[in-house]
Amino acid sequence: MTPRLAADDLVIGHGSTVIAAGISFEVMPREIVAVVGPSGSGKSTLLATLAGVIPALSGRVLVDGADVTQVPIHHRGIGMIFQEPLLFPHLDVTDNVAYGLRRQGMSRAEANERAATLLQWLGLAGYERTSVDQLSGGQAQRVALARALAPRPAVLLLDEPFSALDADLRRRLVIEVSEALRHEGTAAIHVTHDLAEAAAMADRVITVPEAPESGPSALGRPAPPA
Amino acid sequence: MGGGDGPLNAPRWLGWAWAIPAAFLAAFLVYPVIVLGARVGLGDGWSGLTAASTWQVAGLAAVQALASTILALVVGIPMANVVSRYRYRGRALAQAMVTVPFVLPTVVVALAFRSLLGSGVPQGFALVVVAHAYVNLAVVARIVGAQWAQHDDRYENVARTLGATRWQAFVTVTLPGLRGAIASSAAVVFVFSFTSLGIVLLLGDSTTRTLESQILRQTSVLLDFPGAAATAVIQLVLVTGVLLAGAMAGRRSPRRTMRPVALRPVPAGLSGIVVRVAVATTVIIVIAPVAALLLDSLRAGGAWSTAWWSAMGSVDAGTTRIGSPLGALGMSLGYALVTAVIASIVGGLAAVAVLSRGRARVVALLAIAPLGVSAATLGLGTLLAFGRGPIDLRGTGLLVPIAHALVAVPLVVAVVAPALRATDSRRLAVAASLGARPTRAFVTAYGSVLRVVMLASAALAGAVSLGEFGAASFLARAGNPTVPVQIVRLLSRPGEESYGVAAALAVVLVALTLALVLLVDRFGMSALQRSARTA
Repeated sequence: MTPRLAADDLVIGHGSTVIAAGISFEVMPREIVAVVGPSGSGKSTLLATLAGVIPALSGRVLVDGADVTQVPIHHRGIGMIFQEPLLFPHLDVTDNVAYGLRRQGMSRAEANERAATLLQWLGLAGYERTSVDQLSGGQAQRVALARALAPRPAVLLLDEPFSALDADLRRRLVIEVSEALRHEGTAAIHVTHDLAEAAAMADRVITVPEAPESGPSALGRPAPPA
Repeated sequence: MGGGDGPLNAPRWLGWAWAIPAAFLAAFLVYPVIVLGARVGLGDGWSGLTAASTWQVAGLAAVQALASTILALVVGIPMANVVSRYRYRGRALAQAMVTVPFVLPTVVVALAFRSLLGSGVPQGFALVVVAHAYVNLAVVARIVGAQWAQHDDRYENVARTLGATRWQAFVTVTLPGLRGAIASSAAVVFVFSFTSLGIVLLLGDSTTRTLESQILRQTSVLLDFPGAAATAVIQLVLVTGVLLAGAMAGRRSPRRTMRPVALRPVPAGLSGIVVRVAVATTVIIVIAPVAALLLDSLRAGGAWSTAWWSAMGSVDAGTTRIGSPLGALGMSLGYALVTAVIASIVGGLAAVAVLSRGRARVVALLAIAPLGVSAATLGLGTLLAFGRGPIDLRGTGLLVPIAHALVAVPLVVAVVAPALRATDSRRLAVAASLGARPTRAFVTAYGSVLRVVMLASAALAGAVSLGEFGAASFLARAGNPTVPVQIVRLLSRPGEESYGVAAALAVVLVALTLALVLLVDRFGMSALQRSARTA
C-alpha cells in the first residue's frame, strides 16, 4: 500500500542551520502517528517542513507517492493545526470552517453545509454564526480542527494543539480529535511532548530522544560534518 | 496627578498644572473658533454655508483628497511592508527616509516636484495628487507598518495549508487584519489632502482648489470675511466627520493574536528580489524630489552656479522687494524659537494632565483638538479674534508663534505623554520615603525624563513652525514674511532668479527641518527607551 505521507532522507533547518538530518518515515492511510520529544528537538520544524511552510534543506516529502517537496503549500493537500487555534478574527465560526472549501471553488451553500455537518459532529451546533472571539479555548480549538478537516486534507499535522489548554479539557479534546480523525479517515501526525497524550491518540509513537548537548537534534541521524 | 486625584506624594501645585494649557487653549483655540462661528451667525455668513461655489469646491477637494488617499495607500502599503517587517542592512535608514516627506514643509514639497518634473508636466489634478501622496507616504507606512510588524504570519500559513494562494491569503487574511490601520491612515491622509494649501497653491489649477485655498481667496482677494468664516465652519464639520469615521472604522477592526514578532530575514529567490527592489524604490521615491530641488538651486542659465545662494542676502532677490530671503529666514527662526517655548510649556503641562483623571483629562483632549482644525482656519480665527480691537495683538509679533504653537501642541503631547507614562511613578514614593519634599520628589522621579523629552518636543515645535504655511499666510505681516510665505511669493513672480532663490531657500528649510527632526528622533526616542528600561 502506498503511504499517505512519507519523508525520505529529509534534512530540516532554518537557512544554513541544520536542525535534524536523515529523517525518513511513513504514515499510512488513516494512520495517526505521534512524534514525542523534548522542546528544541525539531518537531515543529519537521511539521512546518512537511507542510511547506519552510523549505526542506534536502530530501523529499511524498504525498500518496508523489514528490511534493517543491510544490507550494496550497497544492500539497496537507492541513495543519497549531498550538493556538489562529481562527481568522474577521470571520465567524462557519466562515472560518468553510474557508478552505471556498478556496477549492465550492459554492457558499455547499461549503456552509459541510461546515455545519462538521460543527455538529464536534458539538458546536448553534455556534455557526458566533464571532470567534466569543468562543472558549476548547471551542476555538474544535473550530480550528473542523476548519482543518473540512477540505479533506491527505494528512493533518497537529503541532501541540492541546498544550495551551487545562488538563481536563486536554483529556476530553484528545479523545474528540482522535474520534474526528478516524471518522473522517484522515491520516495525521501529532507532535507533542506528552507521552500519555500521544499514546491515547496515536496508532504509533515515534520518540525523539534528547538532542545531544551540541550538534543537531536526534530526530534524524546526525547531520554529516560540513 | 492633576486635580489631586493623581499619584500620592505629587506636589500640590501640580494639581493645577492643567490651568495654564486650559487658559491658553480657551483663549487661542476656543475663542477664535467662537468668533468665527459668530461671524457666520451675525453677518451674511448663513448664505455662505449654502453657497453653491463653496460646496462645489468641497466636492472638487473631496475627489482630489480621495485620489491622493488611494495613491498614498497603493504606494505606502508595500513601503510599510518592507520597512517594518524585514531585517536588512540599512533598514533603520530606510525607515527614517520614509518619514522625510512628512516632515518637509508642504511648499518645499511642491517646489521639489516642480523641480523634479519640470515644466513638461502641466500643473493641475495629477501633480497635486502625486505631491499629496508623497507627503503622506509616511502616515501610511508608519501607521500600517506598526500594525503589520506585529502581525502573526501563522495566520497566512493556516490559510495556505487550507488551499489559499499567496495572493488569496494576503487578500482574505492579511488585509482584513490591517483594516483598522488602513482606515485610520486613510482618514488622516484624506484630511491632510482635503485641507491642503501650499501644494494646491503652487501645483494646482482651477480644478484642484480646496476649502483652505477658498478661505485664503475669500479673505485676501474678495475681503469676504463672513463668507470665509462660513467656509471654515463647513471644513471643520467635514473634517471632524471624516476623522470620527476613521476612528470608528479603526475600532471595529477585529482583534487577533498579537505576539512580539522578530524582523524576518529577507526571503530567498524572487520574493527577496521583490523586497530589495521595493526598498530601493522607496529610497529613490523619497530622495528624487529633494535631490532635484538641490540641483535646481545650483543651476543658473544652464550651468553650475552658486548665484542663487549668493543672492540670498539681497533685498532684490527675485525682485520681491519685501525683504531679503535671509531676512525671512531670520524671521522664521525667531518665530520657531518663540513657538518652541510656548508649545513645549503648553504641551508639556497638557501631557502631564494626560496622566491624570477628571477635569485635567479634558484639557489633554482639548490639547489635541487643533489636529482637527486646519491651519488656515486657525489663522483666520486668530486674525478675526486678535487682529483688531478690542484685543489687537498684531503689533506684538506673537500672532504667528501662537498659531504655530496651536499646530504644534498636539505633537508635543504625543512626544511627552508616552515618555511620562513609561516612567515608573513609584519613583515618587521612593523619593518621598527617603525624605524628599513633594516638589523635590517629583523632580527626582520625572526631572531627567522631562528635561530630555521637553528638548525634543521643543525641537519638533520649532520644525513645525519653520515649515508652516497656512496660518502664516494669514498672520505674517507683509514686510516680514516667513520662509514658506517668502517662497510662495517668489514663485508667484516670473523669472529664473525668483525660482532659483526659492529653491535655495527651500534647501535651507529642508536642512533645518531635518536637523530638528533628527534631534527629536535621537532625544525623544532615547528618553522613551530609558524610561521603559528603568520602569
